[in-house]
Amino acid sequence: MKQKKGFDIGNAVIKRGTGIAMILILLILGLRAPLFFSPENIMTVLKQSGVLVMTALSITTVLIVGGFDMGAGALVQLTCNIAAGLIISGVNPALTWGAGLGIGLVMGLINAILVVFVKIPTFVTTLGTMYLMTGMTALYNGGSALTFELIVNFNMMGQGEILGFPIIFLIVLLFCIALNFFFKHTRTGLRMYACGENKNAADIHGIDKRKLMILGYVISGALLGFTGVLQCSYNYGASAVDYGMDFLIRALASAYLGSTFSKTAELSMFGTMISGVFIAALSNAMVINGFSNQIVSGVLGSVLILSILLTVIKKREIGQVTIF
Amino acid sequence: MEKRLEEKRMLCPDRILDFVRNYGAVVGILLLLIIFQCIDHRVLRLANIWGVLRNNTFLIMMAMGMTLVMSVRGIDLSVAQVADAAGVLTAFLILNGTSAVAAVGAGLGLGLIVGVVNAVLMAYLGVPALIGTLGMMYVVRSFELVLTNGAQPQMLFTLNHSITGFFLNIGQGDVAGIPNVLIICVIAIIIIYLIKERSLIGRHMDALCGNVRASFLSGINVRKTFAITFVLSSFLAAMAGLMITARAGGATPRAVESYLNDCFVAVYVGTLLSKDRKFNVIGTVVGCLFVGFMSNFFTLQGIGNGTKQLFNGFFIIAAVALGTLRAKKK
Repeated sequence: MKQKKGFDIGNAVIKRGTGIAMILILLILGLRAPLFFSPENIMTVLKQSGVLVMTALSITTVLIVGGFDMGAGALVQLTCNIAAGLIISGVNPALTWGAGLGIGLVMGLINAILVVFVKIPTFVTTLGTMYLMTGMTALYNGGSALTFELIVNFNMMGQGEILGFPIIFLIVLLFCIALNFFFKHTRTGLRMYACGENKNAADIHGIDKRKLMILGYVISGALLGFTGVLQCSYNYGASAVDYGMDFLIRALASAYLGSTFSKTAELSMFGTMISGVFIAALSNAMVINGFSNQIVSGVLGSVLILSILLTVIKKREIGQVTIF
Repeated sequence: MEKRLEEKRMLCPDRILDFVRNYGAVVGILLLLIIFQCIDHRVLRLANIWGVLRNNTFLIMMAMGMTLVMSVRGIDLSVAQVADAAGVLTAFLILNGTSAVAAVGAGLGLGLIVGVVNAVLMAYLGVPALIGTLGMMYVVRSFELVLTNGAQPQMLFTLNHSITGFFLNIGQGDVAGIPNVLIICVIAIIIIYLIKERSLIGRHMDALCGNVRASFLSGINVRKTFAITFVLSSFLAAMAGLMITARAGGATPRAVESYLNDCFVAVYVGTLLSKDRKFNVIGTVVGCLFVGFMSNFFTLQGIGNGTKQLFNGFFIIAAVALGTLRAKKK
């Protein structure tokens, strides 16, 4: 009997562990530097998390269908650079949103074609297109940052506020709700989940995996393209530093950390969003506490490893062990 | 009549496709070399070839480790970072007064430690290799940045030669005109080749690649085999890092990271040289030389990094697409 009780406690920790740990970590860091809890700083965190959460949402889309995307960060950077370049050359800023979406869509489609029709494994495909995109970015900006002065209407999206809430966060929230509805309440979305969870079972049930895979990559590509323009609006331009991998690791960590909220380690949009905000808050809290930026990357790496470890443990518990 | 039939057979798309499948890669590599030579006559000069060989030894060391891991369906994204960190750590220790031998030991030890952590995570805890090693890459990066206080270059050539002589000799010295790095690399190639193709562990790796479940049922210690590849890969990467540092006479944190791209291209191009598009050591070495000549050509022509990245992406996709073409035939 006693044993069973102990087991229950362990179970509860595994079930709610992620949330408890998140709150504890932020509390400890926040108590050391009370500035962290000021309303202004909380709004700053929400603003900082915008681009990260958008990237994480798009990568979750691909992960749900059972794909993978190494090039998510690179695509964000490419569209960010192109949007900045277009604005500098005098194109109407409103049109850049279309350009970003279009480029993202095309890149998503290319990924999908390579994965579905040429049958290259998802990792290799996206690794290849990642290098293609970083190469294009480097050629496009010629190694220098593309920056511009404040354009009120355009930078509104990334930097503006409504009733104290950052607009970028509201946009992200909107996307999150829409994606959540799509994946949890429409037939196509549920089928995409089924594809990612168990390919063979989905096959037997007559689900056309190829169509859903294409759809997943295209949606994710378009979202990433949009995210790039959002990043441009948030940053007043594009940086020439290659931050594709940094974006990727943050997004992946958010997605997998988000999946540990659920009992069966299922990926979910809201989980991703909460974890994304947590990761932004963690970076923010660590910097406020005086930790150097160099440690932050190590902490992010550890968070990624720990969250995937938790996912694996949970999956093992329900009998879905997937080792290599 | 017969002649016409034969002609038909010659031109039928199946045969052309067959040819592309079987010899396309080799012909393509040779063609590229010839094109390079036509554009720039310096490419195939003896001095240049010698230089490419010598500078490629580092890549070969790293890519061989990657090949081992990928041959059991794993992946190690942390190789370049481990090489980086091992070099930086060794240089840092020598600068702070540790003897060169101990510093080399520490560098190699770092490789072993990361390898063991990787092995435990991926093989025994069951973390997907792709994500686990990506996380490790960032942990290692953080370590070396903190160690050097934010990416300060560790210059060894400023020290007295009596202190650094032993270490720098690894990278800059030669025996009878053959550079030390080349000798180390050739020995490593032979050892790794023997491990992969002629030893029990190598056979187990092949079995794992074919069918994990079946090899488990036939009594192979699946986890151990998987773990060994990670340890070997990190150790080789650490060796490569030491060689680079010794050759350059200093280490700059994050300078070696870009080797990861070249590693991937080399390994995937290497699969084309095997009959059933498996990851193999000799193929990887050839792939490394291919990457080496390509980078060399780009440098000679003054073409920037952007174009090189574009080609890297193209080659990875093309190599694997060719491989799938060949697989479809079966």
